[in-house]
Amino acid sequence: MALVADRVPILQRERPLRPDLLLVLPYLVLSGLGLLMIYSASAPRLAALGLPPDRDLKRQAIAVVLGFVVFAVVSAIDLRTVRTWVPTLYVGSVVLLVVVITPLGEEVKGAQRWIQIGAFQFQPSELAKVAIVLALASLLSAAGPGPLRWQRTLRAVALVGLPALLIFVQPDLGTMLVFGFVGLVMLFVAGATWRQLAFLAVTAVVGAAALLRSGRIREYQITRLTAFLDPSSDPLGAAYNQFQSEIAIGSGGFFGRGLFNGTQTNLRFVPEQATDFIFTAVGEQLGFVGSAFVLVLYGIVLWRLLVFAANARDRFSRLVSVGVAALIGFHVVVNVAMTIRLAPVTGLPLPFMSAGGTVFLALSAALGLAHSAWLRRSPVPGEGVD
Amino acid sequence: MRRPAWRWHDLRVVVLGLAFAAAWAGIGVRIYQVQAVDAARFAQRGFDQRVRHEVIPAPRGTIYARDGVELAISVAGADLVADPSIVDDAEEVASLLDPLLELDAAEIVERLEGDGRYARLARGLEPDAVEELEALIDGRELLGLTLVPRAVRVYPSGPLAAQVVGLTRLDTGAGIEGLEASLDDVLAGQDGRRIVERDPGGRVIPQGRLLVDPAVPGADVVTTLDRRIQYAAEQAISAAVERTGANWGTVVVLDPDTGEVLAMASAPGFDPNDRDALDPDAVVNRAVAEVYEPGSTLKVVTIAAALEEGLVAPSTELEVPQRIVIEPKEYTDPSDHPSTMTVAEIVERSSNVGTILVQRMLGNERHYRYLDAFGLGRRAAIDFPGERSGHLEHVSAWCRSTCGPSAAIGYGVSVTPLQMAALYATIANDGEWVEPHVVAEIVEADGRRIVTEPRRRRVLAPETARLLRSMLERVVEGGTGTRARVEGFTVAGKTGTTEKYLPDEQTYSTEDRIASFVGMAPAGDPEIVVAVVLDSPKGVLEDGTELKYGGASAAPVFAEVALAVLNDLGIPPDRPGVDGDG
Repeated sequence: MALVADRVPILQRERPLRPDLLLVLPYLVLSGLGLLMIYSASAPRLAALGLPPDRDLKRQAIAVVLGFVVFAVVSAIDLRTVRTWVPTLYVGSVVLLVVVITPLGEEVKGAQRWIQIGAFQFQPSELAKVAIVLALASLLSAAGPGPLRWQRTLRAVALVGLPALLIFVQPDLGTMLVFGFVGLVMLFVAGATWRQLAFLAVTAVVGAAALLRSGRIREYQITRLTAFLDPSSDPLGAAYNQFQSEIAIGSGGFFGRGLFNGTQTNLRFVPEQATDFIFTAVGEQLGFVGSAFVLVLYGIVLWRLLVFAANARDRFSRLVSVGVAALIGFHVVVNVAMTIRLAPVTGLPLPFMSAGGTVFLALSAALGLAHSAWLRRSPVPGEGVD
Repeated sequence: MRRPAWRWHDLRVVVLGLAFAAAWAGIGVRIYQVQAVDAARFAQRGFDQRVRHEVIPAPRGTIYARDGVELAISVAGADLVADPSIVDDAEEVASLLDPLLELDAAEIVERLEGDGRYARLARGLEPDAVEELEALIDGRELLGLTLVPRAVRVYPSGPLAAQVVGLTRLDTGAGIEGLEASLDDVLAGQDGRRIVERDPGGRVIPQGRLLVDPAVPGADVVTTLDRRIQYAAEQAISAAVERTGANWGTVVVLDPDTGEVLAMASAPGFDPNDRDALDPDAVVNRAVAEVYEPGSTLKVVTIAAALEEGLVAPSTELEVPQRIVIEPKEYTDPSDHPSTMTVAEIVERSSNVGTILVQRMLGNERHYRYLDAFGLGRRAAIDFPGERSGHLEHVSAWCRSTCGPSAAIGYGVSVTPLQMAALYATIANDGEWVEPHVVAEIVEADGRRIVTEPRRRRVLAPETARLLRSMLERVVEGGTGTRARVEGFTVAGKTGTTEKYLPDEQTYSTEDRIASFVGMAPAGDPEIVVAVVLDSPKGVLEDGTELKYGGASAAPVFAEVALAVLNDLGIPPDRPGVDGDG
């Protein structure tokens, strides 16, 4: 066997698909730690309501196991095959985003974000995040080498703009920001000129300002922002979450208060602690050591994703890897910054840790796409991009 | 052509990587600041919001009747409050609450549709209602409603002895009337305190118990009141007030040997459990809070003093004119009498002129000394809120002319009904004054019993008291107090009718009288003393006697109460068959 292999030219050889443990292990550890944190944060509240204390844990565990399967399956699919599905995935996402704002969608806390199918609920906006990465990668990789043309850049903007508009109707500002950031990063890496990027940046700022003044934004979204800028304005209202989160994380100190000993998170001073504020549970129970550990794991994931991009076989694979890195990196930064009062409350989950099935599956799929790109990478680093 | 393009792309990926690295560094620094540099400050803030300084309310003591039955007791009740902003369907909530609360449905709806986030629907709910409401709230049928636990004072005997037992404030639970007020310190106990950590739902964090200083429960108070005697007295006085149209009436029943108040009843009365219908006038404990001029009932002091001082004997004969002028007043006897009467006859016929003649033999100094010794002008130590001392001017301030004679026949001196009862109890108790009291003992939470011995004071020699009793017996046998007779028993007592002083107009009423009777039975060795006072009774009896006289309106109440008490105490009759008893 070895003799036969030696005769095959190196560029044509089929390498075995060996998973990248530096990506897979952090992904598994973060998911497992997420389950533990969700249990610690939800059990006392559920018990107090007379419900099974492991109800949320079980739900998330199902999503995690399914997510692992999705990751493995997607990793096994060649991105060239995936690319042929992109139009279907994009159109499908847009259709679901339309459905969710019709009466078929479920309203939760004033926002239409859910679709209910039988016993299952899912959020189309999470799937749209992945679809956008793929659609942009497909559109931008079709361009020739060298700087992007205005036409293609504007088409990319339109491609992101349509689902973003539908998400604005829900409304879900956090996800809109995700779309904007991912779009900008992918255009940047795809070779948009500085003038194009500057134009996009100015447009985004003007658009945001117009949005704030339009009155179409709900009041709570504005109070969240002003409360962030001036926390003392409303310490028991909009700023309450962040105050409590900061207190909890600070209470953790260097080594943490120990698992299940977090009085602030376990006892529900911190709201949404199993979902948006799961990092708070880490900070209080596991301390600076735990927080740093989690951040390092995310750092490793991002590093690997950028390495995948740099070693991609083709432009599509490269842009997918970059898009996934932007997607996950943005979630981590905005979410963690929110819990320590560096950013306003936006409601973005912490990848692989926050309770939530759809987002776990979607981000697992995204990670699988980038992993697939790595498994079928260029044998010579930096080569192979057509 | 291809290579530069790749490098160009690579550079941008590197820029992206650097941007993320910068963000990571920023977050790392901030987390280090929060969790390492400022950790103690945040931990303190967290502690501050968990820790609660709480008061542990001390359970209030119980007030008992002498037989151990509760007159006032604290139970675990609750207030019902609502957050109107959470209540969805006020109508539906009201329909659920309507049968449980005293509020009507419309009022409940109105409160639930208010703007605020707090509305109180009921205060001081008793355990039964609390239990039913808890079931509804647990069943999620009353979203937005909360029960706030609190001790609720209930009075199991209802209106019985209500003026004596008194009332507590609905909000703080502090005593405001009656024994609840006068013994508030004793009953209230001492609140404890507790420093604990609580979660936002209010549950105590088990490891977070920092300090518990337990409450000292209030002491129980055992009264001297006999429920059956109290009931009989209340029935009799209510009926009398009803019958005569009096403003109010009161009855005091004393055990003369011990000074124990067996009953203290005032009409109109009230039900302490029904605070909405409370009439402030009905709360007044008239037996200690009303003062009046005792009139003829005070003549006994004049006579007693003269007997004790050896100036007269019951058989001493005196020339008693129909009227006597002592400038600037003229004193008359309302009914004709012989011109010569013994002291006993003077008492029997309640002669004003005769008593004044005896007083003049006695003189003001000695007269005052006896009034003072009988406890007039000083509060009987029950120490009720609103208890009054009455008025007895010191002899040095008495006018030379009419002050003594007026005091002799019970004017110019004011007393409470309880003081008069204690005065007659002195005669009943062979001349020894015993401080009247309503508290038999105080039982501390640790079981210690505190019994205060009543003060005692000898005022008359036993023989003098015995002579007085036999003279007072004649009052009932054939004098002004015949309506006080009790079948089967000898009774000694005295009627009193005084013009009602109108303080606002500084004059005496021409119409209204204070009618009273104070007496004891059996006359030979009295077991009970009963004082009856009625304010402004009106009407006429079948035989033409006006009810404004004590002998007509107050004496029958005495008879009714005395009979009930004597039977209740099992006192053997001492006058068999005189009235043709079957």
